Amino acid sequence: MIEIQRNRIDVETVVDSVRRHDAGAIVVFLGTVRADPDVRALDYEVYKPMALRTLTELVARAREKFGILELSIVHRAGRVSVGGDSVVIACAAAHRSEAFAACSWVMDEVKRIVPIWKTEAGPAKMRDRQP
Amino acid sequence: MQIQVRLFATYREIVGEGQLAWTLRDGTTVGQLVEAILAKYPRLLGHGNSMLLAVNQEVVRPDVVLREGDEVALLPPVSGGRR
Repeated sequence: MIEIQRNRIDVETVVDSVRRHDAGAIVVFLGTVRADPDVRALDYEVYKPMALRTLTELVARAREKFGILELSIVHRAGRVSVGGDSVVIACAAAHRSEAFAACSWVMDEVKRIVPIWKTEAGPAKMRDRQP
Repeated sequence: MQIQVRLFATYREIVGEGQLAWTLRDGTTVGQLVEAILAKYPRLLGHGNSMLLAVNQEVVRPDVVLREGDEVALLPPVSGGRR
């Protein structure tokens, strides 16, 4: 499951997408919007066709590199308020060590090469957006 | 020939648009296109070194020759952040 969506991510759906009988471990990572000073939300801008293509390639590389069974990545686009999930990754493997390693590696790669940019929205910007 | 230029984040804000139609001579490379864009929007100049270039959603080097209908994206560095 690879998706980029504007609405809230249903974590249970992402976890269920990687469940398999031959998996002995599922590692789930949630990237959440942190309340830094003057940050009320983050706005995510996505070059969607390239982001989807890059995420698909990352999943293939993770399978090869770590021998995992399943990997799902769902990322938000648009505004995510403090406390919200901006990215959810679920990784299933026969054993926990490769699931942890793959999940950590893929998140680093998402931050490094997937064309998604975030800008902070503080109180002033939030006011601007109100009608 | 005509191609589409996509701009994101900082670059989009500088140029004021996320998408531009651009007319080029046959044989123009991505690097030459970027030079023309920087000449038209000099406020992008300081960003040239960190700019990543993609043609039809694949990262390319500046010497790639463009074709009619290509989609060229100028990509600022992505979000990054600490581990």
